Amino acid sequence: MLAQRATQQSLRQLAASNPSMASQMVFKSFAVGSSLQTRPVATQKMTPADSYQILVAQRKNRPTSPHLTIYKPQMTWIPSALNRVTGSVLSGGFYVFGAAYLVSPLFGWHLDSASMAAAFGSLPVAAKVATKFAVAMPFTFHSFNGLRHLSWDLGKTFQNKTVITTGYVMLGVSTASALWLALFA
Amino acid sequence: MLRQTCFAATSKRTFSTKLSSSFPTNTKPAASVLLRPVVRNALVKDALPGAVRVAAFHACGRRAILPPLPQVIDGTANDPAPVPPANPSHGSYHWTFERLVSAGLIPLTIAPFAAGSLNPTMDAILCATILIHSHIGFESIVIDYIPTKRLPKTRMLFWWGLRLATVTVGVGLYEFETNDVGVTEAIKRIWHA
Amino acid sequence: MASVVSPSQTSTIKEPSHNPEAKTKTFHIYRWNPDEPSSKPRMQTYTLDLNKTGPMMLDALIRIKNEVDPTLTFRRSCREGICGSCAMNIDGVNTLACLCRIPTDTKQDTKIYPLPHTYVVKDIVPDLTQFYKQYKSIKPYLQHSAPAPDGKEYLQSKEERKKLDGLYECILCACCSTSCPSYWWNSEEYLGPAVLLQSYRWLADSRDEKKEERKAALDNSMSLYRCHTILNCSRTCPKGLNPGLAIAEIKKEMAF
Repeated sequence: MLAQRATQQSLRQLAASNPSMASQMVFKSFAVGSSLQTRPVATQKMTPADSYQILVAQRKNRPTSPHLTIYKPQMTWIPSALNRVTGSVLSGGFYVFGAAYLVSPLFGWHLDSASMAAAFGSLPVAAKVATKFAVAMPFTFHSFNGLRHLSWDLGKTFQNKTVITTGYVMLGVSTASALWLALFA
Repeated sequence: MLRQTCFAATSKRTFSTKLSSSFPTNTKPAASVLLRPVVRNALVKDALPGAVRVAAFHACGRRAILPPLPQVIDGTANDPAPVPPANPSHGSYHWTFERLVSAGLIPLTIAPFAAGSLNPTMDAILCATILIHSHIGFESIVIDYIPTKRLPKTRMLFWWGLRLATVTVGVGLYEFETNDVGVTEAIKRIWHA
Repeated sequence: MASVVSPSQTSTIKEPSHNPEAKTKTFHIYRWNPDEPSSKPRMQTYTLDLNKTGPMMLDALIRIKNEVDPTLTFRRSCREGICGSCAMNIDGVNTLACLCRIPTDTKQDTKIYPLPHTYVVKDIVPDLTQFYKQYKSIKPYLQHSAPAPDGKEYLQSKEERKKLDGLYECILCACCSTSCPSYWWNSEEYLGPAVLLQSYRWLADSRDEKKEERKAALDNSMSLYRCHTILNCSRTCPKGLNPGLAIAEIKKEMAF
């Protein structure tokens, strides 16, 4: 391999010093079996308008590179996505209840606080705790993560290390408080 | 082992180089342009030693709901992207208002935990603030995921649908606040049921 | 008096001991060839002996191109993190290949993709036309109506100059913009972290006179306010800058 390289190198130098020899050199290089590459691609004269049309056509074939599926899960975008999800779940529930309460007389639903409390009270304890946790977790997550967002909006706690630390603290505090709300409150 | 594969690669590459360079260099341009993909294919196939395998796991961005459109660039590469007209009520005023609402939710959320539940006025303020906060949140989701340019009708549908929903929920909550015990008290009773 | 150095005082520099054990690392690299437009992008696997490869990802890519597969296509230029050409997604994070060490753990395969959610020109070469057009739209130059008082240059104090630290170093490699989910979904209208950091670089410059016009150009729902402080941008910046903070400063300036 080294010998090949050396031959190739010297051939190149020769070619540079004596261009008229270049045509012979191609055959020489095959004789020694080096990996000298020649490109069988010819160029064409083209007007700028034509080449632009080729570019426009080529753009339409281009694939989009992968994004969500390949990006590393990090303490930046994962909580941010969850912030939107938890917010949507809470607000969605809020909207469903508000709208359902408005139309409940039409359908004879009992959505007053007393009957809802009675219905919830009749559930088994495990179901009660599970439901409470399922409601409390998005609430605490969105609230404590919201504090991080408000702090960023003030232009604070922007260092990468701080973002990671506050992220883990937020996760711990929101899980603990959700558990407390589900079990003891 | 790796050396061997390197050697294999080099020798194969030499082979394909020979193959491709055996075309006379003075062929008509059109002909060699036509030949180009064929040669490339040969090169790709031959240049890959055993160590190089083609893995068949997914490599393209897949978004089932709204796949990206083919690339279209408006104007040339040297034209700046268009600057939209200034609209502070959807820009800076909107942002400031949203932050004030969010910040206002902090004391309003702590209060019922501290006091047990809220008096009707405070309860109504909390409800209204949460409603506005939710509305802005949903609005932001619509703006992010339903682009006006691409889906103008769907965007309008969701935009006005959201406004209608917010008004409906607002009326519903007003009914609940006036006819029932109030949201914080209701949650408290259900929670302790 | 001629000093004689005894052999015990000299130190011998030996050739580094050759490690016969090959440290074979596997690389999975995104491939797509525009000459075969109907074929789908695919992942191609290469193996390299790390003992014979330089320490950086770019060394590995160059070695693959030189010795294994000359068809592999990527951009590179300065190999020292100042040109921004070799920006790509390595092991799930956007970075410059020339500044990214190859993890020495050979059990873990490395995956290399183009910058996320970009149109691919070929293999790991993304098309950044829209990104540059957006950069141009923020007028990235000093706007000043009157000539300088001394006829030579506009002066600023040391404190004023200090405000540009952490902003002027940006090399526009597009790592941050293409790490931002908001930019993925709305790159047509949202400017993205890199261009907004540049925008703030001119807003923060004491010599610039068109601050109000610059702010007005951002004051709509799309250009600036699609930023939801996700902070992938600050996390990924290979130059250690903080685009997220720059955007927050713009928002603050425009709010009050």
